[in-house]
Amino acid sequence: MRSLHLLSASGGGFVPPSSNDFIFPSFFGHSQYATKPIFLVFLSVLLISIFFVLASRKAAIVPSKLQFAGESLYGFVRNDLGRDIIGHEFMRFVPYLFTLFVFILTNNIFGIVPLLQFPTMSHVSFPYVLAIITFVVFHYIGIRKQGIRKYIKDIMFMPGVPKAAYILLTPIEIATYFITRPLTLALRLFANMFAGHLLLLVFILGGDHLLKGVIGLKLISPFAFAFGIGLTFFEFLVQCLQAYIFTLLTALYIAGALADEH
Amino acid sequence: MKPNDDGAAWSIVGYLLSGMLFWGGVGWALDHWLKTHYFLLGGLLLGVSASIYLIWLRIGRNSK
Amino acid sequence: MKGTLNLVGYGLSAIGPAIATGMIFAAYISGVARQPEARSVLQPIAFLGFALAEALALFGLVLAFVL
Repeated sequence: MRSLHLLSASGGGFVPPSSNDFIFPSFFGHSQYATKPIFLVFLSVLLISIFFVLASRKAAIVPSKLQFAGESLYGFVRNDLGRDIIGHEFMRFVPYLFTLFVFILTNNIFGIVPLLQFPTMSHVSFPYVLAIITFVVFHYIGIRKQGIRKYIKDIMFMPGVPKAAYILLTPIEIATYFITRPLTLALRLFANMFAGHLLLLVFILGGDHLLKGVIGLKLISPFAFAFGIGLTFFEFLVQCLQAYIFTLLTALYIAGALADEH
Repeated sequence: MKPNDDGAAWSIVGYLLSGMLFWGGVGWALDHWLKTHYFLLGGLLLGVSASIYLIWLRIGRNSK
Repeated sequence: MKGTLNLVGYGLSAIGPAIATGMIFAAYISGVARQPEARSVLQPIAFLGFALAEALALFGLVLAFVL
């Protein structure tokens, strides 16, 4: 590592990408809210609204290309995530699931869109808010469906277990339902987006830095860029997958809250 | 299709993590309080075994 | 460069559960592919094996932070 550093030292030391690359300067003045992630969230809302208004405005029996794209996305969420998992009451939850899926997908894909190139969900506060909304939704549904006492009792006491085991198991169940579930939901999305963006930064910035080095390192840099491009396609896969998993788990939690016994 | 089948599979990691964190946390607190250093390991092992028992109750028992 | 050696150790120790998880699900998938009706028998076994392997990985994760 040290010799590599010395070889490329002509253009100054290489600063490896770190979490500092996720902090952006403000657009104007000292307002700490006018930064790139906030801008991207508003942009995503605007883009999604425009896309679906255009896709559904001239709905016809023989769909246009835009209408077909919008309908197949909606059909995927409604059938594969709503109907197959939640069951016969699924129609009430499709708006929430669909909003969640499209919002996360758009914000993730911003990570590989040229010029934007920052996945909003790699700032941990955005996944936290989404996970809190899911948390409130599935507990509210469970409490309203079964009544608060039965719902809590179902979570705390698993049927068919010797009484002494409840001392061991009840804290785990409570921790799972009220702490671990929303936490892992948010952290899974955040960590995937954070690590993916960091990985792309390492290869692209590293390739750029190798290009400034001596002739031997210049020859290596195309490999770094090629890996960067390959990993960009891999990132696209991960971004779609994480949006899907977040929505899938939300649907599963809702289905679990609706079911009579846990 | 029973809705709970897939949910149980997804929640394995959650159960393991919360079991370890809760009982490991209890062990860590006991260590901190009593100035010992073996309750943490005991708590972690207890948490893991309780979690695996719970996972067996959720997944293994249903499909007899 | 700075950091803690615990994370290197955790990275090494995560190789074992990773290989184990891969082997468990490979065996589960090929078992179900050969005999689809065995799915309901194999599924709990596969997930319990996954839980045991995953427990070791999470154990390493917790100890990497605690020690």
